[in-house]
Amino acid sequence: MGDTETAIPLGVRLRLGRAAIQTIAERAGADVLHIKGDAVDPELRPHLHGGTDIDILVRPAHVTALDRALRGYGWSVYTTFANGSPFGHAQTYKHPLWGYVDVHRLFPGIGLDPGAAFTRLWRDRTSMDFAGKDCPVPARTEQATVLALNAARGRSDSLQDLRRVWFDASEQERAGIEAVVADLDARTAFDAAIGQLDRHRGKREYRLWRAVSENGTRLDEWRGRLSAAPTLRKRALILLRAPMVNVEHLGHELGRPPTRPEIVREFFARPLRGLSEVRRRRRTERRR
Amino acid sequence: MRLRANDGVGVEVLGDTVYAAPLPDGPIMVLEGIAAVIWREATAQPRGSVAAVVAATTGEDAAFIRAYVDGFIDEMVSRGLLVPE
Repeated sequence: MGDTETAIPLGVRLRLGRAAIQTIAERAGADVLHIKGDAVDPELRPHLHGGTDIDILVRPAHVTALDRALRGYGWSVYTTFANGSPFGHAQTYKHPLWGYVDVHRLFPGIGLDPGAAFTRLWRDRTSMDFAGKDCPVPARTEQATVLALNAARGRSDSLQDLRRVWFDASEQERAGIEAVVADLDARTAFDAAIGQLDRHRGKREYRLWRAVSENGTRLDEWRGRLSAAPTLRKRALILLRAPMVNVEHLGHELGRPPTRPEIVREFFARPLRGLSEVRRRRRTERRR
Repeated sequence: MRLRANDGVGVEVLGDTVYAAPLPDGPIMVLEGIAAVIWREATAQPRGSVAAVVAATTGEDAAFIRAYVDGFIDEMVSRGLLVPE
């Protein structure tokens, strides 16, 4: 980026970036909903101003069209769906001017089929103005639900979000959120957010949500992913991928593409790091 | 004749600064000081009144700045950022 561009406030860059993304989505014929950050009703997040990147949820059937369009307009893939998170939910793209966009093909914690979930959120959508461009966003109650589900993954600002959207909410607001949670089949993640995960002990997703909501170790997270996998095939894929090195992540840490010896070194270092995290956690727990 | 931001041009205003960008590629143009005042007035007043309003805002002589104001607006129009309403 040039000197003049680095002087542009992040909030302005993000708002213009959302308008740019919306323009690309419309040209690609892709339905997208702008979520999180500055796409949230300010009344739901009075404690936050803006965000650090752009998040959108794309209709799953339109992912390929949007991916092709983004690449065509100079966005490059930064992390892939496969390597971005244990949920495989988002792919991050980077642009030299607009920064980063997280393209979500599903939202972690929503059990409903991703296409049906998008249609449910799309049905009651509203819009927000970014740089003069109308950008579709979920309705207010759906935004509150998404914030709560996001908080279930132990985000740093989650406590304030939860206080506003749930703990300080009126009975009517809570009833609205409960209805959306039911529609989206998001009970387990929602209960993880509000500290009621133990209601789901023994369920397939319990260990995964426990690991992510309580900032568990990589090993906890991996065991949780295995438990949550609905089919043998998905379990097998997780097992097969486990020893593989996340080359994208390693490259971001190094600031350049890793060399073959560095990938080999990381291959052996990863399991050891997982073990050392477990040992550190056990020592911490013993001290408590 | 009034002007407006062209379709496909994103505009954000923060404080006294105007940021305008052709979408989706950019670049972002940063208009500060007198440039921001001219942009704002050009999208709020008939074009013929812009120089007088800008002069009143800045304390300059309208006859003196008219050519500069018109030149700036012409530049914004030629870049496709502003179009007749």
